[in-house]
Amino acid sequence: MTSWRLTKFNVVSMVFGFAFLYLPILLLVVYSFNASRLVTVWGGFSTVWYRELWNNRGLLDAAWVTLKVGLISASVATILGTMAAIALSRYKRFSGRTLMTGMVYAPLVMPEVITGLSLLLLFVAIDLDRGFLTVTLAHISFTMCFVTVVVQSRLMSFDRSLEDAAMDLGATPTVTFFQVTLPLIWPAVAAGWMLAFTLSLDDLVIASFTTGPGATTLPMKIYSQVRLGVTPEINAVCTILIAIVSVGVVAATLLNKRRLVRQARDERLAAGG
Amino acid sequence: MAAKIASGAMKSLGSIRRDFAPWLDQAAVPFIRFEAVTKRFGGFEAVDDLSLSIYEGEFFALLGASGCGKSTLLRMLAGFEAPTSGRIVLDGEDMADIPPYRRPVNMMFQSYALFPHMSVEKNIAFGLKQEGMAKGDISERVEQVLKLVKLEDFAKRRPDQLSGGQRQRVALARSLAKRPKVLLLDEPLGALDKKLREETQFELADLQYQLHTTFIMVTHDQEEAMTLADRIAVMDKGRILQVATPAEIYEAPNSRFVADFVGNVNIFEGKVAAATGDRVTIATSAGRKIHVASEVPVVAGQAVSYVLRPEKLRISAEPLSGPNVLEGEVWDIAYFGPVTSFHIRLDDGSTVKVAMVNATRQGPLQLTWHDRAFVQFDEDAGLVLTQ
Repeated sequence: MTSWRLTKFNVVSMVFGFAFLYLPILLLVVYSFNASRLVTVWGGFSTVWYRELWNNRGLLDAAWVTLKVGLISASVATILGTMAAIALSRYKRFSGRTLMTGMVYAPLVMPEVITGLSLLLLFVAIDLDRGFLTVTLAHISFTMCFVTVVVQSRLMSFDRSLEDAAMDLGATPTVTFFQVTLPLIWPAVAAGWMLAFTLSLDDLVIASFTTGPGATTLPMKIYSQVRLGVTPEINAVCTILIAIVSVGVVAATLLNKRRLVRQARDERLAAGG
Repeated sequence: MAAKIASGAMKSLGSIRRDFAPWLDQAAVPFIRFEAVTKRFGGFEAVDDLSLSIYEGEFFALLGASGCGKSTLLRMLAGFEAPTSGRIVLDGEDMADIPPYRRPVNMMFQSYALFPHMSVEKNIAFGLKQEGMAKGDISERVEQVLKLVKLEDFAKRRPDQLSGGQRQRVALARSLAKRPKVLLLDEPLGALDKKLREETQFELADLQYQLHTTFIMVTHDQEEAMTLADRIAVMDKGRILQVATPAEIYEAPNSRFVADFVGNVNIFEGKVAAATGDRVTIATSAGRKIHVASEVPVVAGQAVSYVLRPEKLRISAEPLSGPNVLEGEVWDIAYFGPVTSFHIRLDDGSTVKVAMVNATRQGPLQLTWHDRAFVQFDEDAGLVLTQ
């Protein structure tokens, strides 16, 4: 392995790289604490916009809708996505497996506009009133495949003799799943849930197509307000969103890291005898 | 067939355990019966029309190279695979419609398959909980089996905090905890190093003797099978070639394959030149005549092979007396400690292997590479095989 040193060149590229990625976000966070009403003029530190936000019913309602849609759709998508992952990794030889794999992965590459439009057409065709329910259904259908991908990659390295052992010891297939399989693939399932939740949280396109009156999500609300001019309140809302997403990402990373550390320790122990 | 003749002719080659030979008892009812069992995976026949009886309390070994169908047979008994045709009967009950979680058998897996998210204690208690056993009884039983495998102090540890040998014991304890009627062992010692394997072998044999549970082991290691089993089934290509005690398998193999698979062997191929009673003269394909005793009837002109274990030959630097004296050059010497193995290139171009026990420290032989050597074997030292 080549040794890895912090040369001047490395430091400069790193600074530029991070600046490119995070400077806009940092600016947004800083301006959310701006006392001035003008978005681009610094008028001293203040938390006034967070207080203002608290009184902005419209934004708060939208945030509440988004949170509910995110929680429900991520949970349902995780259940369905995990089931699909298990079916795809366990039953290697059922007819239509290739077709199903393709269909599960298609939403990953499908343009959101098309997904949104087709869902809208479906809801119109079956005469379903657009609103909270339809947004939630739409989010389930487009986040499910992400869960499947994450869980399936974990199942590939799963030692199936553990399930054989559980059944051999008298556990029914259901007990085996809940007491052996699920606890072991849980980090992947949790990561899938967090991914689905984050995707649902910041979706604008599909929500715009599938929602109706009374179920405006936060991204939609922000987008429509920004068209009338950026207010510092928007900055405050976005800062809170960034905080939530950051916590999620950090938690997922820590979960993963803990698993890697344990794996490394296992390997060391196994090598040591 | 040959096995039956051999076991009749060689009464001394019985079970290691005195007075334990239910397979010789006509009235004994087999505990496990495979009846014409076939298993196909796609076009591949893993197990081919196989029938086998195993008796209660037996330590039975399925021995064969990888891919011979031995693991498939074990997995069918555990219920993880269903036979394509044929029947498996355990303790009088047809196993066909019984799922793995309702069979009175437990398995110790080759990878151990310990649940990594549970402590040693919880791993062992897992099967007992499924039975709905009371809490107090569970902890009592867990303690009991941990004592059996000498791991009392490790109950709270997790599998990743144990060494390979300790994990093997936990796996064994877990599979014994439910007191199964039959314990299945899939390469139980495969993952251990040589020294630990030898120690564990004896412990496993002791354990089986204490518990009187029927053990069925799958292994590719002939030494492991010989040390542990009451009877061994030698398998190849989904079929059983011979079922017999370790001593019979070694001293009275029924075919060249079995003779060659288990231990070292010299095989003389040839045709019967003359046969009077059990005295047979074989003209080997290398152009030599050997005089041997045959346990099976043969006729002149019949193609036979004579199999001879290396330790049944005598070797010397001086000319030897007696029947079947062969002469040649020392081609190779391998010193193993307790025995020394010689490869002698005979004057007719063929090679024989001779093993000599190093009974004294000095070693009685002054033979070295390229010396002339004399080799001799008695008429009943080997075995005439017709297949």
